[in-house]
Amino acid sequence: MLEPLLDRFRKHDRNALARLLSMAARGEIGSEALAQIPAAAKPARVVAITGSGGVGKSTLIGKLIEHLRALKEKVAVLACDPQSPLSGGALLGDRFRMPSRPDDDGVFIRSLATPGGQGAVAEHLDLMIRLLEAFGFGVVLIETVGAGQGDTAVRPLADVVVLLLQPETGDDLQWEKAGLLEVADIVVIHKADLPGADAAEAQVKASLALSHGPAVPVLRVSSKSGDAVAALWEATRTLPLRRPRFNPEARGLLDLLRDAVASRFCKLEQSANGPFQEIVREWRGGSLTPEQAADKLLQLISPERSEHGDVEADR
Amino acid sequence: MQAPSAPLRIVLAKIGLDGHDRGVKVVARGLRDAGFHVIYAGLWQTPEAVVRTIADEDADWLGLSLLSGAHMTLIPRVMQLLRDAGLGHVGVLVGGIVPEADIPRLQEMGVARVFGPGTPIQGIVEFLRERSEAAHA
Repeated sequence: MLEPLLDRFRKHDRNALARLLSMAARGEIGSEALAQIPAAAKPARVVAITGSGGVGKSTLIGKLIEHLRALKEKVAVLACDPQSPLSGGALLGDRFRMPSRPDDDGVFIRSLATPGGQGAVAEHLDLMIRLLEAFGFGVVLIETVGAGQGDTAVRPLADVVVLLLQPETGDDLQWEKAGLLEVADIVVIHKADLPGADAAEAQVKASLALSHGPAVPVLRVSSKSGDAVAALWEATRTLPLRRPRFNPEARGLLDLLRDAVASRFCKLEQSANGPFQEIVREWRGGSLTPEQAADKLLQLISPERSEHGDVEADR
Repeated sequence: MQAPSAPLRIVLAKIGLDGHDRGVKVVARGLRDAGFHVIYAGLWQTPEAVVRTIADEDADWLGLSLLSGAHMTLIPRVMQLLRDAGLGHVGVLVGGIVPEADIPRLQEMGVARVFGPGTPIQGIVEFLRERSEAAHA
């Protein structure tokens, strides 16, 4: 079933991409299938757009799509909305605010239901990003679920995190709290056509001035007037690609490695005596921390010769 | 094709010049509460835009709402475009104001069911579940 689908994907069949994304979202794509997806010609720039519900994430993404298409960039959007913890249902209403021309193959929008407790992004996003970049999308925009102060899980998935704030969202202490503001690479004061935008900008800038690390740009953007949308993309485009490169072959190796370690662990566990039981005893008795015990076990396991051949286990 | 446990994905859209979206929003909410993943495409969609949405979202169902009287013009176009796009497997529901006489003609075109005013949400939910179970049996 997967083989013909991958074949169609390699022939640039958009429906095959759509189906593979669904399978990825449901966790149905294993490492073998993954290794057959062609490598992207060029890594995509993955930009996360985050911020609280109603701050204008979808609307701003709609504006960014228009701007990126004018620059001839192919852009895909993964739009996350919450899934009900009670019924499992979801109302995915992000693409509604993202006008796109149906005859434009350079835009792809997928809506994703996101279970609670995932830190504002859907599961298996890394795989979906990998599929989209292999299909030739140069920019992938991730819209998080309306994010609260602690929803920072999107950071390792994205090259650039853009945090949207709006006027009148709290006093200056609000910005001193740990969390979302710390993972932002760019801060946008959205709805900058509303009164209070300059005060919010000043407060955020004052807070960021106290942090270590690279300076975080703060931009006032209005999707209503279109002001500074181009400037936002310019700031986003010039930041380095930070995301660890997704390597399906290495992923497959990691699976093999896990299996090998697990099987050796089980073999050692079955021996009644010997260094394995000693380590376990010391850990139980409290003279070894769990981390120390794990380290010792790893040393115990690794000198053994590989089961897959005669190659000495490398570090 | 799909694991039975995965929620069904349904796109709800209004096509043509028709600003009455209260009904489709009530249906969206009802299906959400029944455990469906509802992709709300909203007002003033063209048949082409709806079919692109179905394709990219890999949806199982499409629900079209029309209160404008343009159903015999717009729905045949949607059905044709779906087939052209290789999406003939997607089930299509129609809701809104549709004269009795048009219903058999819409069903001949491949519309699975027409739901008129006063339909309880539970009726739509049961129809979708039955049809989907039959398709995966």
